[in-house]
Amino acid sequence: MAKPSKDEIHYLLLKLHSLTGIVPIGAFLVVHLCVNSLRTVGVWPYQLSIDAINNLPFLLIIEITFIYIPILFHSVMGFYVVRLAKTNAHRYRYPRNGLYTLQRISGAVVFVFLIYHLGTTVAPKLWEGKHYFEAAPFLIDIMNGEFQTWQGLLIYTIGIVSATFHFSNGLWGFCVSWGILIGENAQRNGAIVFAMIGLALTVLGMTTIAEFNMNPIPVEATVAR
Amino acid sequence: MTNITLKIKRQDKPGSSSYWQTFKVPHRPFANIISCLMEIQKSPTTGSGETVSPVIWDSNCLEEVCGSCTMLINGKVRQACTALVDNLESPITLEPMSKFPVVRDLQVDRERMFKNLKKVKAWIDIDGSHDIGEGPIMQDQDRAKRYVMSECMTCGCCLEACPQFTIDNSFLGASTFNQVRLFNLHPTGEMKKEERLDAVMGEGGITDCGNAQVCVEVCPKNIPLTESIADIGRQTTWQAIKNLFTK
Repeated sequence: MAKPSKDEIHYLLLKLHSLTGIVPIGAFLVVHLCVNSLRTVGVWPYQLSIDAINNLPFLLIIEITFIYIPILFHSVMGFYVVRLAKTNAHRYRYPRNGLYTLQRISGAVVFVFLIYHLGTTVAPKLWEGKHYFEAAPFLIDIMNGEFQTWQGLLIYTIGIVSATFHFSNGLWGFCVSWGILIGENAQRNGAIVFAMIGLALTVLGMTTIAEFNMNPIPVEATVAR
Repeated sequence: MTNITLKIKRQDKPGSSSYWQTFKVPHRPFANIISCLMEIQKSPTTGSGETVSPVIWDSNCLEEVCGSCTMLINGKVRQACTALVDNLESPITLEPMSKFPVVRDLQVDRERMFKNLKKVKAWIDIDGSHDIGEGPIMQDQDRAKRYVMSECMTCGCCLEACPQFTIDNSFLGASTFNQVRLFNLHPTGEMKKEERLDAVMGEGGITDCGNAQVCVEVCPKNIPLTESIADIGRQTTWQAIKNLFTK
């Protein structure tokens, strides 16, 4: 096989940037928000789902392969893509141009938010070695604390809204750049559908935050070691 | 008679620094920017009474068909010939396009656009040293679609307004992708389809489009540029999948 040219690598990397935003990162975002929204149903089903995840075999390898590496790749490529362009939404005030600019801003916001989010959840979990059934009470305890200050509420609200916007607008961008939505009407209707998906995910995240804020219930490990 | 004030961004030669000068021309109903510039050419005197060299600009057809008089009028890219002073806010600012190298004053070098057309083989091959026979027949619906796309006059509005297109990067831009679609839709042009797609699947190619869709908003010919971009997105995606299994 011939060595891939610089152009072929460029095409492949940008296509992968687009794809990783949907799978696995977008898919993970949906699962993550859905699982966490179980908290609004009750602490018990919520804890069970965290138990299930934390008892998965090779959890760390799964997380690194399907979450951390794709997010890191998507972020690095994202910053590269931003550097290629110069936004002009202040001069050419069209809705789609505004969304284009917001897509770049929200991406950067999510990147910063993720450093905070990982630093306050996964990092202490790994540092203190809380695995299997010990993870749920440890993480729930952290999250109960996170939403008791207005700073915490603000950080998570901004983080979640940026992420759901970036994902739903990115879904539209994916569909247009891969040639799934071609016609003007198709692109507009797609945008409406994706906006509704984004809105639903935002509501899911906000209700979870509200539940944590109003009912910070500590839990015991489901199965003691 | 009232006067119109024109604030013009000037530059003496390629690479030199730019400066602003203000001119006053008598108002005439239905005057366009070109006629104002011609008025300045008659007596190039600035608002402060200084006589300067006349302002240089590009123009040709004067009916929004050639694209050569494209410039920034009150900050937005458009053709000077169809910019009527009565519809513009005063003072009127004129600047050369910012994404192309300035030759002098309002005249820019748009060679990059024509080089890009060569890169993507934006033409239909005709007979060479021997007759290659009749071409396939084009469907009427394709002809109608192609007619709209063929109206591109390579003016550069879509590129000037595009956030992904900068003066020093290699982005091909909306007009070029539209030409790829135009010639790939032609039954004879389709024979070079893969070569055209190959030319837009690299640095500065279709993947660099960020879907800001300003191109379609500013296109003076109302070409469905974003449809063309999405269609080239589809064609290149299939091509990439095909390459993955056959190359």
